[in-house]
Amino acid sequence: MSHVPPSALGLARQLIAGLLICLFTTTAMPVAAAEQADALLIGIEPEHNIFDQMERYRFLADYLSDQLGVKINLTTMSRYGEVIKRFKALSLDGAFLTSYTATMAIKELHLAPVANPVNLNGESTSRGYMFVRKDSGIRNIQDMRGKSIVFVDPATMEGYLFPLAYLQRHGLLDIAHFFNRFDFSGSHESTIFAVLDGRADIGAAKNTAFDKLVQNDPSIQKELEIIAQSPKVPEITLCLRQEIDPGLRGKLATLLLHMDQTPAGREVLSKFKALRFVKANKADFVRIEEMAREARAVVADH
Amino acid sequence: MKAVRSSLRSILLAVLFVIASAAHGQAEKRIGVIMTGDIPYYRAMHESMISELNKRFAGVEKIEIILQRPFPNPISWSNSARKLIAFDVDLIVTYGEAATQAVIREKSRIPLVYAGLYEPDYAALKGQHVTGCGFKVPLSSIIRYFKSIKALTSLGIVVSSIEDDSVRQYEAIKLLAEQQNVRTEKIDISAHADVEKLKTKKADAIFITGSALAHLWLDEILVILKNANIPAADIFPDSPETGLLMNLFQPSQAQGQMAAEMAWRIIRGEKPANISAHTLRDTELVFNLVQAKQLGITFPIHLLMEATRVVK
Repeated sequence: MSHVPPSALGLARQLIAGLLICLFTTTAMPVAAAEQADALLIGIEPEHNIFDQMERYRFLADYLSDQLGVKINLTTMSRYGEVIKRFKALSLDGAFLTSYTATMAIKELHLAPVANPVNLNGESTSRGYMFVRKDSGIRNIQDMRGKSIVFVDPATMEGYLFPLAYLQRHGLLDIAHFFNRFDFSGSHESTIFAVLDGRADIGAAKNTAFDKLVQNDPSIQKELEIIAQSPKVPEITLCLRQEIDPGLRGKLATLLLHMDQTPAGREVLSKFKALRFVKANKADFVRIEEMAREARAVVADH
Repeated sequence: MKAVRSSLRSILLAVLFVIASAAHGQAEKRIGVIMTGDIPYYRAMHESMISELNKRFAGVEKIEIILQRPFPNPISWSNSARKLIAFDVDLIVTYGEAATQAVIREKSRIPLVYAGLYEPDYAALKGQHVTGCGFKVPLSSIIRYFKSIKALTSLGIVVSSIEDDSVRQYEAIKLLAEQQNVRTEKIDISAHADVEKLKTKKADAIFITGSALAHLWLDEILVILKNANIPAADIFPDSPETGLLMNLFQPSQAQGQMAAEMAWRIIRGEKPANISAHTLRDTELVFNLVQAKQLGITFPIHLLMEATRVVK
């Protein structure tokens, strides 16, 4: 048995105590005070063509990094619903969120909605469509019995909450037995293609994805019939953690909201495929919460 | 005593009559089947129908199947129909429109159940004794996927002018292509010699309609297209491994099962007129990456995500 001198034991205790203090103070810091960040990690919810999406956002991130003097790093979340988990782990400082995940993040994580991009059609909002092939013979809820339906993801308003709320408003509570099959395609575009190909009878997706596909291929409009649509909600919202230095948050918001007023900003907006950014309004998310309540039986599972 | 013997004889005769009647009631039913062509698509449908029939009739009734696999031409289809009518089968099942129309033309009173018909609503099937199921595949998707992977200015369409459903598909995709400024060229395969026509074609892509004749010689067609570096798409799930770039098809098993259910109901006494015809619209999409590589075509990843199956 080896003998350890008392002075060495005391030194070891002091070292451990010091390390523990350091550990506690460093882990407590992010929630204890506003952060002076030299880099921000911003999440993006994946779209159908993730490479095209990352390229668009990289132009924006580079511009913001240059203007702010704070590096903006981007990360793609593997699927729509991952945003809450990522924020809970404090690995993200903010994210460009679709309507329902923004609603969840504002409610559960107390994120601050900052700005919404306005798309090339002049819209900062989107709405949900429920659609079928015109030759399917499906015109109403009764016709849907025994058919297959494809949603986007459980964490989308347009691609899941809206159709669920719509079906429940028409007295349909048990989709598992009413439909022959229901699936999640993972993206709005995939949902539209699934119905076009006949891989599903009914689909639900957001109008902006629908309109973009129609713009590229007008024949799609002739083949699909929209049978229901939701109210408009903010399509994409940049939400930031409250813990980020208010000065930096304010500077970022001002930069985004005035981008369209400078040639350099307009050039980046053009590559980002937006006309401008507008101020996000927390009240815009109330309608989505109401819709979530209507579909509460299913939403509770997620 | 004589009276007793007479009564016993009467009872015995009655019992024998009942036994004979019962035996006749359990006698086997005969189902005649005609394939428009002996191709994998109809064979898979037939296997599925037989399997479903066996389940439904197991221990209840014996079923004899008389299968006709004529060479795809009007005389053979007609001969097959006449044979089954001459056999006085209890029910006829047909796969594909040509065989179905051949039976209908004979104006027999034998109930008919069809399967594997493209858009049966447009097939002008007339008759009190006819019901069945068919399928519909959105042909516009074929054009859409071709356009997603290569410039498409011309589309060759393999059609068989002796098969009405093949012709309907040709007309539908021709219209869709022309609406999108894609030039079309009809490649009519009515005899084996017609396959050679493909060697002179210069289309950007080829669509093969659901023709029994074309699928009888599909391997030869695909070799010619492969040598000419022309991608091909099909709406039958025949050979995704042997040279088609894509298949968008309605799985044949479902139609086989539905035909069996209809046959079962008719054999049990229901009238065909009381059984609604049905069009199946669920599809599967297969992309063949092996073939794409040989053709120098790259499928975008987001497009591959749409496939039900990818052949690697």
